[in-house]
Amino acid sequence: MLKHLRTFKGGFRFKNYPGQAKPLLSLAELPLRVLIPLSRSSKAEVKPLVKKGDIVFAGQIIGKDAADILSPAHASVNGIVEDIKYPKESKSESAIIVIRSSDTSRQVKPLGGQLASWQKLNNEKIKELIFLSGALGLPADSSGKITQIIVQETASEPYNYSLDLILEGENTLNFIAGINILKKIMPSAQVNLVFSRKNKKIINEISKLTAHLDWFNLCTVEPKYPQGCQQVLLSTLLQKKIPHGGCASDIGVILLSAEEVLAVYDAVALGKPFIEKIVALSGPSFKENIHLKVRLGTPLHEIIEGRLKSDESIRLILNSLFTGQELKALLSPIDKTFAQIIAIADSKGREFLAFARPGCRQDSYSRAFLAHWLPGIKKSVDTNQHGEERPCISCGFCEYSCPAMIIPHLLVKYVRKEIIDEILINYEIFNCIECGLCSFVCPSKIPLLKYIQEGQKKLLAEGFHVKK
Amino acid sequence: MKIIRTALKKIQAVIEKNKYLNPLKPILNAADEALFGTDKINIIPHITDYLDIKRFMFMVVIALVPVVIASVYFWGLRVLAVIAVSYIFGGLVEVGFAIVRKKEIHEGFLVTGLIFPLILPPGVPLWIVAVGIMFGVIFGKEAFGGTGRNIFNPAIVGRIFLSVAFPRIMSVNWQVPFSSGWGGLAHYQNTIDAIVKATPLVLFKNQGIVTPWINMLLGSGAGCIGETFRIGIIAGGLFLIFTKIVDWRIPLAYLITAPLFALIGNTFFHSHLAAPAFQLLSGGLLLGAFFMATDPVTSPFTKPGKWVAGVLLGILTALIRGFSGYVEGVMFSILLVNVFTPLIDSVVLKLRYKTQ
Repeated sequence: MLKHLRTFKGGFRFKNYPGQAKPLLSLAELPLRVLIPLSRSSKAEVKPLVKKGDIVFAGQIIGKDAADILSPAHASVNGIVEDIKYPKESKSESAIIVIRSSDTSRQVKPLGGQLASWQKLNNEKIKELIFLSGALGLPADSSGKITQIIVQETASEPYNYSLDLILEGENTLNFIAGINILKKIMPSAQVNLVFSRKNKKIINEISKLTAHLDWFNLCTVEPKYPQGCQQVLLSTLLQKKIPHGGCASDIGVILLSAEEVLAVYDAVALGKPFIEKIVALSGPSFKENIHLKVRLGTPLHEIIEGRLKSDESIRLILNSLFTGQELKALLSPIDKTFAQIIAIADSKGREFLAFARPGCRQDSYSRAFLAHWLPGIKKSVDTNQHGEERPCISCGFCEYSCPAMIIPHLLVKYVRKEIIDEILINYEIFNCIECGLCSFVCPSKIPLLKYIQEGQKKLLAEGFHVKK
Repeated sequence: MKIIRTALKKIQAVIEKNKYLNPLKPILNAADEALFGTDKINIIPHITDYLDIKRFMFMVVIALVPVVIASVYFWGLRVLAVIAVSYIFGGLVEVGFAIVRKKEIHEGFLVTGLIFPLILPPGVPLWIVAVGIMFGVIFGKEAFGGTGRNIFNPAIVGRIFLSVAFPRIMSVNWQVPFSSGWGGLAHYQNTIDAIVKATPLVLFKNQGIVTPWINMLLGSGAGCIGETFRIGIIAGGLFLIFTKIVDWRIPLAYLITAPLFALIGNTFFHSHLAAPAFQLLSGGLLLGAFFMATDPVTSPFTKPGKWVAGVLLGILTALIRGFSGYVEGVMFSILLVNVFTPLIDSVVLKLRYKTQ
């Protein structure tokens, strides 16, 4: 069933950013070395099954958890285990298996037990295949507990990878098969696809293919930031809220991306371990904005080498200009969280009389620049702050743009005055979803999100509890 | 451009070395940043909006340009001198406080310094302008801790101070506007003989004469420097609302309530309260509603609070105009509602967050 969802209050629609990744896919060369981290979360880690000097093949499980809860680690190339690096003093760094690639074959050995006509497999086998492939970690007892499966591709960020590319050709059918597989192992779940309204072609295709399924909803949304944020998505789709500090599966929901659904299909029907990922190269500082298929564990520098423009200083950002972290360590490996790498100019030169310019390329929440009336011109994008920090004038932009419906400037005034008490909780400081829009829109350039996070931290440190 | 930049750098080096000149740093920084923008970069989020406070205030100044041009046409080139005096003396106070406090110079003054002369009578002596703006900036803004902390609109504080302290000067300097040819663009000011015209509000209060609305709209009536060219004010106000620089709620509530209240009042107190259209187009109502009541710092920040403030403003304006000894209903009502702003906001917040 095709549904158009009403958009949420607040938010901002980012249009026309230069350097969107085109729907072109190229295979990245096999890396010389891959680095396979064994950590699964800040505390949990899988145990290595190989030792230095072992010969491994692409797709081989080289790290495993004794209780089979954490998803296993795979070798992503054929090669030799060169080293296993354990963290020494630093606690944050996890153990890493380094594999030196030994041949150029792209062949990947199947997991075994897969079946192209997957309907004949029993649920236990399907779950095992999904688990062994590392496609996704299903919560324990997922068959009964999960009531909603949400596949979200809202494309609401300034930069988004191309869904057209991911669901190209036969992948659309595989994607639907993947959804059917998930429905088979979680029979009580409703499946919701939340796609950006702009992906008309795919929406048409999928709605034709799924018209007969009564457990299937195809929802379209306006690609307004931060529609893709979990909390916003759940409240627009299901009118549900995740309690602060909790996760989606607490309320019986799992959230997936289209690529993960495809990985489920690949694992169950083709026996393919999840060792390859599509990463978009976005932003004007890349020479070419394309998508790359890369092996997991490839060090970042092998991907970006030769692909960046060299005449300016560049900041590399993971996935999101708003919530993504800056990629500073170029030796660190690509992992499953990489969906795109954004490269934008860092600290572009200062502009003469910036405040008095017509601003044909200046993006703004207000309509104070000509760019608002010139939809055909690409916006300019860099990490400059575009103004000095000033006292808050209560213009209200942060409140109007806030998707969580809190009043950021009010909270920040309290936090800055070191008034850390119940009043902050009463003003719903813990409803903040950390989308960063308040810091973006502020004309006084106040880092509101930073102060809100600081306030939350101080509140918790002083023993206040989140109101449920 | 490069010449300016190197010059600034050289001056900076001199100031750094000389400890007596050190306090002048804010001036240099302000010049540097105004000309070339900032070089600070973001951490998270990685990008920020291009709108900054300079642009914010600059937009208000742009919105006032038609009004300023029209007022030069009506009252002569002397208007420019009045504006210059306001900017210079107000600016001196602003810079002085920035130096003493060792803080940056803030841009809010760009707007205050321009609005203040627009709400003075055309024949106002220049020394009065200087006194008024200095009083307004010191007691309306800096005494509270500077931009963002003031309770009152500094321009209104200055204006009311002048009305109360120098009532004679402030009420007899009404001139007859130029209305033909090059008008004030070719003259310094209108001849002294012409100074005997009362404003429409005074005419109504004393003699019950209602000025035709078309005269008021185009600005051929008497009045303060910037309040008579009402088409320009409306255009500027809509421009600001359209660009989201000011919120539409207060002007809308204000401009509906004032005539509505006048309509009700007019049926009962015919001689006191003028008809709605006259209320709307006379005095500083439009200028006040679009440019002063909307000052984000001194008006409520909550949306319901904005409605409340607008309605209060409308009622107070009509009441003061009709029943008090003054005709300047707009500035008194804005000052009064400024006082209530924190209260309005805190009541709204209490109601909004009560149930949780």
